[in-house]
Amino acid sequence: MLLLTRAPKAWHRLFQLKALALPGTPGGKAQHVRYQPFSTPGPAETGRQDQPQGPGLRTRLLVTALIGAGVGGAWLAMRAEKEQWRRQQRTEALRQAAVGQGDFSLLDHRGQVRCKADFRGQWVLLYFGFTHCPDICPDELEKLVQVVRQLEAEPGLPPVQPLFITVDPERDTVAAMARYVQDFHPRLLGLTGSTEQIAQVSRSYRVYYSAGPKDEDQDYIVDHSIAIYLLSPDGLFTDYYSRGRSAEQITDSVRRHMAAFRSVLH
Amino acid sequence: MDLSPLGMAAPSMKERQACWGARDEYWKCLDENTEDASKCKKLRSSFESSCPQQWIKYFDKRRDYLKFKEKFEAGDFQPSKMTAQS
Repeated sequence: MLLLTRAPKAWHRLFQLKALALPGTPGGKAQHVRYQPFSTPGPAETGRQDQPQGPGLRTRLLVTALIGAGVGGAWLAMRAEKEQWRRQQRTEALRQAAVGQGDFSLLDHRGQVRCKADFRGQWVLLYFGFTHCPDICPDELEKLVQVVRQLEAEPGLPPVQPLFITVDPERDTVAAMARYVQDFHPRLLGLTGSTEQIAQVSRSYRVYYSAGPKDEDQDYIVDHSIAIYLLSPDGLFTDYYSRGRSAEQITDSVRRHMAAFRSVLH
Repeated sequence: MDLSPLGMAAPSMKERQACWGARDEYWKCLDENTEDASKCKKLRSSFESSCPQQWIKYFDKRRDYLKFKEKFEAGDFQPSKMTAQS
């Protein structure tokens, strides 16, 4: 109200500008200053005859740009929302997989029952082998605990849980596992179980194993796939390392996975 | 060497290392004598007493494989000879 009384001239000017920007706007006085290229200049168009693209076009472009930005913004917002939804779906799927996949119920080398959930929240390096193994299992376990030790020495990194699961449940009793793991690392946990339990856990981790023929001492060698598995604190497969990988390479890889890790479990 | 009557107990770390040592000595002798086992009888018996029988069979097979691989990679492969052996 105050503005109207104090600056009638400004209002008049604004009105003219509006009329210029939006041709065809109803209003008596506005008609006279409607944008018409090459027409006789009105009061607001003095000195702009040589510039047919006057403020009208600029303002129109501005409005178009604003509308365009509005549409674009809405599209981006929708896209972001869709991405968010997809991410949530994937997270939910991963969470379900973490709970169901690769579960086991085995005895550790102290006779305690252990299942996969017990290791939730920890990085795990897992190896399948057997205590009567001539050379490969000791070599791979030595390499595994070397990785664990290297990572232990680095400040700020969470401790990795080394696990050894037998593929020879007939001979690898709790006592045999205890005797075996003590030679490698104080935190190395040996897991054994019944034939069925071992078959089940080997299946979940896609480990092949096959006991060879027995000799006169009833001794035999178990042929088995060789890999060190890395499980994330969510219990998910994260990586695997074959015989050819060195301890340094595995350490680097684990370190990188730790840095990139984002939990999907709450 | 823990060779219990049932032969069931797995070798300890020390026993494993003793076995590997004896194996390496024996294999070194074979390397030096172009696989002539008759020149390495003493080391062979030392090897045999340090390791479970299953391991000896396993390491012998491993030796064969490593030697074959060497020959193959060196291009000494003779098809007729191989089919006779396999």
